[in-house]
Amino acid sequence: MKFIKKNLNLFSLKRWIRNKPVDFIVTMFLMLLILWVATLIVSWFILEANWNVVSDNLDLYAIGSYPADQKWRPMIWMLSLSTLTIITLTWRRKGILQKSLPWIWILMLPSGLVLMAGGPGLIPVASHKWGGLALTLILALSSAFIAMPLGILLALGRRSKLAIIKYSCGIYIDSMRSVPLIAILFFGQLLIPLFLPVEFDINRVVRAILAFAVFAAAYVAEDVRGGLQAIPKTQVEAAEALGLNPKQIAILIMLPQALRTAIPALTNQAIGLLQNTSLMAILGLVELLGISRSLLANPNFMGRYLEVYVWIAAVYWLICTSMALLARRLEQELDPNILTIKSNEISN
Amino acid sequence: MRIPKSFLYQLIIAFIISCILGVLFNNLIVNLIRTGIGINFKWLMRPAGFALAETSLPYKPSDTYAWALFIGWINSLKVILFSLILATLLGIIAGTARSSSNLLVKSISSLYVALIRQIPLLLQLFFWYFVAFLSLPNTPLEPIGKLLSLSNQSLRIAGVNISVEFCALLIGLTIFTGASIAEVVRGGLNSVNRGQWESFRSLGLNERLGLIHIIIPQSLPAIIPGLTSQYLNLAKNSTLAIAVGYADIYAVSDTTITQTGRAIEGFIILLASFLVLNLLITGSMNILNKLVMRIK
Amino acid sequence: MKSVIKAKGVVKTFQGGKKALDEVSLEVGKGEVTVIMGPSGSGKSTLIRTFNGLESIDEGIIEVLGVELDSYHDERKVMRIRRRVGMVFQQFNLFPHLSIIDNITIAPIKVQKRNKEEVASKAFQLLAQMGIAEHAMKFPSQLSGGEQQRVAIARALAMEPELILFDEPTSALDPERVKEVLDAMKQLANNGMTMVVVTHEIGFAREVADKVVFMDEGKIVEISAPEDFFSHAQNERSRRFLNQMM
Ligand SMILES: Nc1ncnc2c1ncn2[C@@H]1O[C@H](COP(=O)(O)OP(=O)(O)O)[C@@H](O)[C@H]1O
Ligand SMILES: [Mg+2]
Repeated sequence: MKFIKKNLNLFSLKRWIRNKPVDFIVTMFLMLLILWVATLIVSWFILEANWNVVSDNLDLYAIGSYPADQKWRPMIWMLSLSTLTIITLTWRRKGILQKSLPWIWILMLPSGLVLMAGGPGLIPVASHKWGGLALTLILALSSAFIAMPLGILLALGRRSKLAIIKYSCGIYIDSMRSVPLIAILFFGQLLIPLFLPVEFDINRVVRAILAFAVFAAAYVAEDVRGGLQAIPKTQVEAAEALGLNPKQIAILIMLPQALRTAIPALTNQAIGLLQNTSLMAILGLVELLGISRSLLANPNFMGRYLEVYVWIAAVYWLICTSMALLARRLEQELDPNILTIKSNEISN
Repeated sequence: MRIPKSFLYQLIIAFIISCILGVLFNNLIVNLIRTGIGINFKWLMRPAGFALAETSLPYKPSDTYAWALFIGWINSLKVILFSLILATLLGIIAGTARSSSNLLVKSISSLYVALIRQIPLLLQLFFWYFVAFLSLPNTPLEPIGKLLSLSNQSLRIAGVNISVEFCALLIGLTIFTGASIAEVVRGGLNSVNRGQWESFRSLGLNERLGLIHIIIPQSLPAIIPGLTSQYLNLAKNSTLAIAVGYADIYAVSDTTITQTGRAIEGFIILLASFLVLNLLITGSMNILNKLVMRIK
Repeated sequence: MKSVIKAKGVVKTFQGGKKALDEVSLEVGKGEVTVIMGPSGSGKSTLIRTFNGLESIDEGIIEVLGVELDSYHDERKVMRIRRRVGMVFQQFNLFPHLSIIDNITIAPIKVQKRNKEEVASKAFQLLAQMGIAEHAMKFPSQLSGGEQQRVAIARALAMEPELILFDEPTSALDPERVKEVLDAMKQLANNGMTMVVVTHEIGFAREVADKVVFMDEGKIVEISAPEDFFSHAQNERSRRFLNQMM
């Protein structure tokens, strides 16, 4: 608004052309470009796009080929996840609700697993029937749940005084980080059974979760290590002088500070993890991207690539953006400086 | 006693680790015997029997698996190198644009970064391949005469033929990596003390000169490590080539493993080829870093 | 008089460095306030940090509150000492992720396993004594330097230590904030606390020190009563240092 107001004033427009000719030309060129692209997009939306490939298949995108009579289970779960997200992002009033939010969040994964897989009073649904967004979310949440503690342990291990722990953690982290994820996933599917006892059979979803988790743990470890390195040595000294033992120092002093500084990096990892679950589309799971691929192979919807891609890109974008917002909320919640920053902003 | 105690701990841990590895290894041996595969690399010298769509060096299906894998590796190197250069340019432009005084330039680059980074790369690759390239007409378009011709088979620039698979992968990787590099560049520029901006302005240098001579040189130490890790990511992400049917090292390994059933050997070869790629990248970046430090 | 610290022939060499402590011997009696002075790099911090085992030593013996430390640096003995010795640092070193009250109560609860309510009420009492009771629920970054340093003193006191070590507690403060911290320290001294203080505050040393230790190049050059030290220091190096200070 300010931009338009400033530049539509004819007097300042003249001054603008005279003072910054390059700036003026660039702006005009970009404006024309935007106009052109916008026309293309709008005309595609109005004239060409045929959204029935999306509207006819909303259930498929959401839950894949999950049994129709049980579909309320993943639906309820995803509904509560989105409600929780909205509440967390908007509810600022202190109270019981806000205090219990962290606990509700922690409960989301186990309740999701129980709802999806079945449990007390619920008919079991085999994991090969899972699909769509629900599977994407299960893959990302479960592997993050394993990767976090594993990554923290690896990060602490890498700083251990015991050489053998230090180097085994180092080798693990560095080699995991040098391999492409798709290789880990592909060989996870192929090799995990080879390394397990003959009678031990684990399904494809669990294999994928394990592969994602061992991969992501190495990245989490490096982010946490970055956070640990950012803590001044004097913090450890102060804790030592108070008589805290090494374990207490790690848990009470180092990790809380390291994790807080690592939140932005960890958020990027989490977003990356969610996006990377799409790789399972080329390795035989029908998560969100996989289901779109099988829809596009359906003769009824042949060639409707753009509609499908725009639609699921929007879904991914929405989820990733909410994750980023949630992380920022968490950061604020944990940051005691926020009060001082706010008051500084006001005084400035 | 101090040293023996920690030594004892290490012994116990070494024992536990070797137990775990031992159990895993034992299972592996049992499974290998059960399926009758075993481990060896002799198959590498057998004819591959599959064709490759993209070959930078002479290749025919009767050539060995080893040669096919090498061609795949060269293909990987090719796409990594080109998108590395293009993504760096794009990233620098978009990253500096975000501290531009022109509001429009600034918003476009912010929009680019915010959009691209929140959508999976694989989906973006599908878009470039299936939507942008495969929907081109069968008969070549020639927008600027013979110099450039476009069809859903290939792109022809000044007589050089480039496959649409390569193009889709190149564009997808470049645009995705460019957004991450833009963030690295922006972080680097922000790491330079605000006072430096004020002092070059007070000396009468304009924004462009100040950026080139004052700000960028100082931000390089902060930028180069981030850039290195983006390049490593680019190399790893290039394995998504398989999604658009470009014959990179991973795609060739995948076919090889499916044909021969040699999963473990295939994995080892893939690891080794990535080790070499990573060493090439980190090695060159270390040299660059030394040069930059010398200039400082 | 019972001695709290008895250091004999202490030598400390940092890796790849020169000797930071060279044959240092020092005795600190119960209830005594010992001020350590000396030019920068003379080993004051190193010496005071050996008293609670933050630095190990290469030669000599240090006996703190009856526990003996030598070059072997027995972690268990070090822990026993740290439980009974408080320390206040130049940069405050409060834990930024904990509120003021948590900063003060964490060690008594986790190390001494004391009752939470009891420790908390003690902490409020200490904060009131330091004149900063109203900040109990804030975080360190919301306090001024002088306030943070008084929190650090309260944190050390909460452990009910028999000895407190101060390493340049006022050097990082704005000049107008120095007094509030020194006043708190004087109050402690008057209550009979045993203190070892590295400081350049001559007024403080004159007023409350029982003895002044002057160090240079890792050696103790002179130990005198403050009135002697500041009027007619025996050593030539001490005199040069004092001339620069005043
Ligand atoms: N961690 C360390 N590693 C190496 N040398 C150190 C270390 N700490 C202190 N020193 C050196 O030991 C000497 C004494 O330092 P210090 O005790 O900090 O002096 P002061 O506190 O009197 O200024 C100095 O020369 C200093 O450079
Ligand atoms: Mg010092």
